Amino acid sequence: MARAEIPDGLPLSAIAARVQPFVAARERLLPVALPLGNHLPNGGVQRGTTVVVDGRRGVGVTTTTLMLAAAATTTGEWAAIVDPDGTVGARAAADAGVELERCAVVRRVPRDRWSAVVAALLDGAALVAATVPDRLRPGDARRLIAKARERSSVLVAVGPWPVEAALRLHVEPSAWERASSGLLTRRDIVVHVEGRGVRAPMRLAHAV
Amino acid sequence: MTRTTRTACVWCPDWPVTAARRRDPELAGVPVVVRERIGSRDVVRCASSEARADGVTRGMRRREAEARSPGVVCIDADPAYEARAFEVVARAIETVTPRVVLDRPGRCDFPTRGPARYFGGDEALAAHVRSVVAATGFGEGVRVGIADGMFAARLAARHARASEVGVHVVAPGESAVFLTPWPVSTLNNEALVSLLVRLGLRTLGSVAALPNDAVLARFGTDGRVFHELARGLDPGPPVLVTPPPDLVEQCELDPPATRVDVAAFAAKGLADRLLERLAERGLACTQVIVEAETEYGERLARTWRHDKALTPAALSERVRWQLDGWLAAQAPVVAAGDRRAQQDADVMADVDTAAGALTLVRLVPDEVVPADGRQLGFWGGDQAARDRADRALARVQGMLGYDAVATAVVQGGRTPVEQVRWVPWGEPREPERPLTIDGEVPAWPGALPPPYPARVFAPPLPAELLDGDGRPVRVSGRGESGPRPAWLWCRALPAGGGTVRSAAGPWPHDVRWWDPATRSRRVLWQLVVMTEDAGEIACIAAVENGSATVEAVYD
Repeated sequence: MARAEIPDGLPLSAIAARVQPFVAARERLLPVALPLGNHLPNGGVQRGTTVVVDGRRGVGVTTTTLMLAAAATTTGEWAAIVDPDGTVGARAAADAGVELERCAVVRRVPRDRWSAVVAALLDGAALVAATVPDRLRPGDARRLIAKARERSSVLVAVGPWPVEAALRLHVEPSAWERASSGLLTRRDIVVHVEGRGVRAPMRLAHAV
Repeated sequence: MTRTTRTACVWCPDWPVTAARRRDPELAGVPVVVRERIGSRDVVRCASSEARADGVTRGMRRREAEARSPGVVCIDADPAYEARAFEVVARAIETVTPRVVLDRPGRCDFPTRGPARYFGGDEALAAHVRSVVAATGFGEGVRVGIADGMFAARLAARHARASEVGVHVVAPGESAVFLTPWPVSTLNNEALVSLLVRLGLRTLGSVAALPNDAVLARFGTDGRVFHELARGLDPGPPVLVTPPPDLVEQCELDPPATRVDVAAFAAKGLADRLLERLAERGLACTQVIVEAETEYGERLARTWRHDKALTPAALSERVRWQLDGWLAAQAPVVAAGDRRAQQDADVMADVDTAAGALTLVRLVPDEVVPADGRQLGFWGGDQAARDRADRALARVQGMLGYDAVATAVVQGGRTPVEQVRWVPWGEPREPERPLTIDGEVPAWPGALPPPYPARVFAPPLPAELLDGDGRPVRVSGRGESGPRPAWLWCRALPAGGGTVRSAAGPWPHDVRWWDPATRSRRVLWQLVVMTEDAGEIACIAAVENGSATVEAVYD
C-alpha cells in the first residue's frame, strides 16, 4: 500500500491492521490437476479445509484420493496417506501424479490411535489423506477439522465422515473400456461434487 | 543399515602447542597458551601440559589463564602453519596406508583392514604408526586408537593416555562396551548434550540403553544419530550419494606455482566452482580429495574430511593449507633474514621430496550428501516444510513403531506386490530390483501393463474363482488354464463379487523354478466383475495350487 493512502493521525495499531499482508483465497489453494481440477471450485482444494471422498469399494475412490494427494506433492509440499490396511498401490499413486519421495504412507494404525495419528500428521504435511474408520465419533471429527484449519493443511477423509465438510466428492459406479484382447485400457470415473463454492451439485466424468 | 569400518585414529594432543614449539624451540618446557579471538573474546584455544597443570583449560579467557599460570607465554593461533606442519605427520602415516583422511590439523583417521593384516594385527600396526610418527620428530605424546567406527576410534585415542605406550586397541565388536562409561559430552552437540544431562542421561551407556523408537520420538533425527553413535554404530553421513564422475574441478598453473598465494588463488576459484556445481544438483560435499601435479610429474593427493557439509570458505581454507604444506615441502628458496620461512624449511627438511613447483591442482569430491539444510526455497519455505514434515513423521514413528511410516519405491517385478518396495521413512530409498540396470530395462515376463491397480493386497485375499459349470478354475501342470472364469467371489469386492463380464489372460508365472523353497507356479487373470450394486469392478486374480486369490483391485 502506498504511503499516501494512509491518512495522518491514525493510531499505530490501525495502521498495522491496514498494511498487514493480504492473502487472497486463491493463493491458499492447492491446485488439482485436470480433469478433476476443472470441476472443483477455483480449480483446487482450499488449504485448511476438509474434503470427503466416498463411494463403494472399487469404483475409483482411491484413484480420486490420490489425485488430490498429488496436488500437495506437485507444489513441492509433503503429503501423508493414512492407510490402516496397508493396501494402497504405489504405482497407481505415481501414475496419479504423486511424488512418492514426498509422500509418507502410515500403515498399521490401531483404531484407538487413529485421531491422534491424523492430528500429528496435520502438523507436518500439507495434505493428509486418511481412510476413516467405522463409527468415528463426531467430536473427534470436528477436532480434526479445527486442527486442519489451524495448521492450514488439507484433510482428505476417505469413507463415512460423520460431520460436515467443505467439499464432498461422491464417486459413482462407472464402466471400463477394454482392448480387443480384454485388457483394461481406461475408464471415466464419475464424481458427484457438492459443497461450498460449487454452484450446483454436479456430475463429471474424468479419465484414468 | 549401518556398517562400521574398523578405523584407526592418530591424534597428536595439543597440536597447536607442538607446532608452535617446533617453530620456536625456546618455548619448550615453559607453559604455553595458544589463543584465538572468538568475537570480542580472547580465549585459550589450546594449552600446554605445563599450563594445564596450573589450571588453565580450553575456552578460558586469556586474562584468567595468565592469572592462574604466571609466566605463561601467549602466542596467536596460526591454523595455516599448524596444517602445514601436520603435513609432515600425514606423509609419515602415508607410508603405512594410502587412505589417510585428515580431520583437522592434529588428528587423522584411516581404515585398518589392509594395513593391520600386513603388519600383523592392530597392536603391531598401532605401534608401527607410532614409531613412524615419532621418527618425524613430532612424536611427543602421539596417541593411536583403533576401534570399530570413527567415533569409537577417536575416543580410544583419547583413552590411550592412561596407558604408557600411547596405544589403545578396542577388540572387534567391543566398541559398544567400550563406549558405555564415556560422558555424553563427547557427543558434539551442545544443545542436545545439555538436554540429555538434565534428563539424567549422563553416560553414553545410558543413552544406548534407550529403545530406538523412544529416542526418535523424543529427540528427533539428531537424537537417532547420537543413539547410533552411542551404541557403537557409525552412522556416517545420513545418505551417501555416489559422486557424479564429471564433477572434478581442475586448473593448470602456467607458469608453475612456487608460491602458495598463487596456487591458493587458483584453488579458491576451483573450490567455489565445485561447490556451486554440486549445489546445482542439490548436493553438498563432506569429504574432498585435493590433488596436485608437480613439474617433475609427481602426483600428490590428500583427503580432507569435514563433519558437516563444506562451505566455500572451509573448503578453500583446507585447500590452501594443503597446497601450503606441499609447497613448503619443496625446499623453498629462503630469503635471508626471513626467520619464519627458514624454520618452516627446517621443519620440512625431514620430508624427502624431489618435487618442484605445482603445475596442476585438482579437486575431487569424495563423499557427497544431499544438501538439505543449505538450500532455501523460493520463499524460504522449502526447508521449513521439510523440517516440519520430518518432525511430524518422526513423532508418528514414535507412536506406532519405526516401520509404520513408509515411502514407496517403484522397482522391477511381475506382480503388483513385487513392483513396490516399502522403505521406512528416513532410510535411503533404494529399490531391491532397479527398473533400469546400466541403462537397460530388465524384462519382467508376465507383468501386467498399465493402468496400475490402486489397491494391492499383501498377502492376497482368498477368493473363489469358478467356471461356467460352477467348478473352481484350475491350472494344468504346463501352466495352462482350462475353461474361462465366470464367477468371482471375494470379500474385497462390493457385494462379495459377482459374474465375470470379461477376462484377460491368463498370464502364467513360473517363478524361481530352480529353488524348491520359494518356487511357485501360478496364473494371473485380469477380470472385470459385474457386481450387484456397484457396477463394474476390475481386479487381478491369481490361481495357484488349485486355490484362487485376489491380488489387487483397480479402485
